[in-house]
Amino acid sequence: MNYRSWIVPPALRDFHEGRIWLKEHSPFAQQDIERALQHHYVQVLPGIQTIPSIKCNRCHNQNRHQFILFDCAKCQKTCVYCRHCIKMGRVSSCTQLMIWAGPRFIKQKKHTFHWTGQFTLLQRKAADEVLASVKQRRSHIITAVCGAGKTELLFPTVYYALCQGLRICIATPRTDVVLELFPRFQRTFPQTTIHALYGDAPKQEGYAQLIIATTHQLYRFKQAFDVMIVDEADAFPYVFDDTLQQAVQKAKTAIAPIIVVTATPSQKLLSQFPTVQRSFIPKRYHNHPLPVPQFSALWRYEKCFRAGKIPRKLKKWVEHQLAQQRPFLLFFPTIELMLVAEPLFQAMESTIVAVHAEDPERKEKVLQLRQREVKGLLTTTILERGITIANVQVAVIGAESAIFTASALIQIAGRVGRHVDFADGDILFFHHGITAEMDEARAEIIKYNKEGFSE
Amino acid sequence: MNKDITHCLLCAQRIQAVISWRILLTKQFPPTICDRCMAQFEDSSCAFAIYKYNEAMKVYLHQYKFLQDIALAKVFRQQIHAHFRKERAIIIPIPMHPLKQIERTFSHVEELLKAACIPYIQLLEKTTTETQSTKNREQRIQVAPLFRLIAGRQVEYQDYLLFDDIKTTGTTLQHATTILLDAGAKNVRTFTLISG
Ligand SMILES: [Zn+2]
Ligand SMILES: [Zn+2]
Repeated sequence: MNYRSWIVPPALRDFHEGRIWLKEHSPFAQQDIERALQHHYVQVLPGIQTIPSIKCNRCHNQNRHQFILFDCAKCQKTCVYCRHCIKMGRVSSCTQLMIWAGPRFIKQKKHTFHWTGQFTLLQRKAADEVLASVKQRRSHIITAVCGAGKTELLFPTVYYALCQGLRICIATPRTDVVLELFPRFQRTFPQTTIHALYGDAPKQEGYAQLIIATTHQLYRFKQAFDVMIVDEADAFPYVFDDTLQQAVQKAKTAIAPIIVVTATPSQKLLSQFPTVQRSFIPKRYHNHPLPVPQFSALWRYEKCFRAGKIPRKLKKWVEHQLAQQRPFLLFFPTIELMLVAEPLFQAMESTIVAVHAEDPERKEKVLQLRQREVKGLLTTTILERGITIANVQVAVIGAESAIFTASALIQIAGRVGRHVDFADGDILFFHHGITAEMDEARAEIIKYNKEGFSE
Repeated sequence: MNKDITHCLLCAQRIQAVISWRILLTKQFPPTICDRCMAQFEDSSCAFAIYKYNEAMKVYLHQYKFLQDIALAKVFRQQIHAHFRKERAIIIPIPMHPLKQIERTFSHVEELLKAACIPYIQLLEKTTTETQSTKNREQRIQVAPLFRLIAGRQVEYQDYLLFDDIKTTGTTLQHATTILLDAGAKNVRTFTLISG
């Protein structure tokens, strides 16, 4: 067989273009990879670089504590591996990373835009502003209150970029959000190949011009995207992890603009964008103001739970919701305290259940609340984003706890009153002392309402 | 690299009070995981293993063996050290097939002993690359010997202790025991980190 006449298998190119991948983990036959190497269609990079200083070439981690030395039975040398991205398959000094350098996919410029919704005036203005920025290849930040309809705002921009033959990524820190956005974009762009990438995502065929991914998945891309959209940018763990921010930079091309979408931006983040590159939507799509949190002292609530009792005020509040047949969420500062409290609430109403981050039945339990099969959920901060339940009432227990930052509290409050038919509702901060974070959350919400209703 | 461990190897939370007086005075290894993670592991109720197999252990073994996170060899070093400290028999870790070891880049059983500073020797080698878990019970019992003596090594009239990470059916340990006894060992006992 003459290798000169070899034609790149399209599936190989479609998969590897833009990706930085462990060579031994490629889903394609090693002989095809070797062929591609002979043709210089694939560039190979060592997993770990040590000069000028140690760095993982996949996730760009440079923290010395996250590298481990060991005697490698494979290369018979002392190897180093990166613990930071180990869940995606270990990268060590003797593993090879491959990057596609061969012929590129010819991108589709014809796409269908199928959306019948209507923008409010504020949404329209913001959508136009983002589009104008992307047309000029400049970055942009959208600040919008919870329930403002942030996703729809992106549709015209995504459509424009698709028609320009650009590759787009929408990255978000959380898998739940990926799962929520994916079908919405599929419905809106029915002829576009879209992939959803997250921890255990199924294999998806073809070349995706639009990728919706968790920020972690960005470690696996290099200079791949012409437009980078980061949704819920302030959400944990993005805000805490510099490596993830670097991953955003690494995954996009040098000139690709970054669109940041957030409900609670930090001043530091905002200050990185000139005024023309900022949009602000202080009002919900249904034009009702945001429910303002009420503070209620719940002294020594922890002791009370541990003594086997629900604090009286809280019990009354729950009884009231049960009587009114309104679904409710109770946020706890720790899983441990929540599990102490769970049987106490179940004694009041047997369907009340607790749900936490590692709970395998998380999705089912939320669905049961939505379908009114359970009357209320106890939860940790995990449900603060991406959940919409009509007429839900919310109370935070121990709102003074360090885990409830102003931004987390604003997000939690944002669960209430999202539905047009139930635009109001209870948001209670039960506390053992008022913190600056609580005050800030409340002040921010009041400020949004003022700005939204000043005309 | 490989410095003092300040954050839990399993959940990445900061470990409280890294070096306590107790650790210094009793020459214990500093902890490598936090108390909350440690509490997830269940003590074995039998005398031939330290832990029971449970959900936390499943996750641990996955990350250690499948994801090849060698750092996790240290997680149980204190418990393994305490158990073997006064052991007088000669310790032999269950070997991996050389090809399998190259593929994994390390021997997970030997690394457990190394991390616990427990001396061991090797007299056996694995004859097959197949794993026991892919066979059914019938097949496991009937197979040809899984191990043989390494050419030129001598088994003495001594006490030996075979060490493995986990015991599921006991076939592996049984095969190794037979080889050693047939070659003239005085007595062979077995011990695992985890009972299946
Ligand atoms: Zn890495
Ligand atoms: Zn190596």
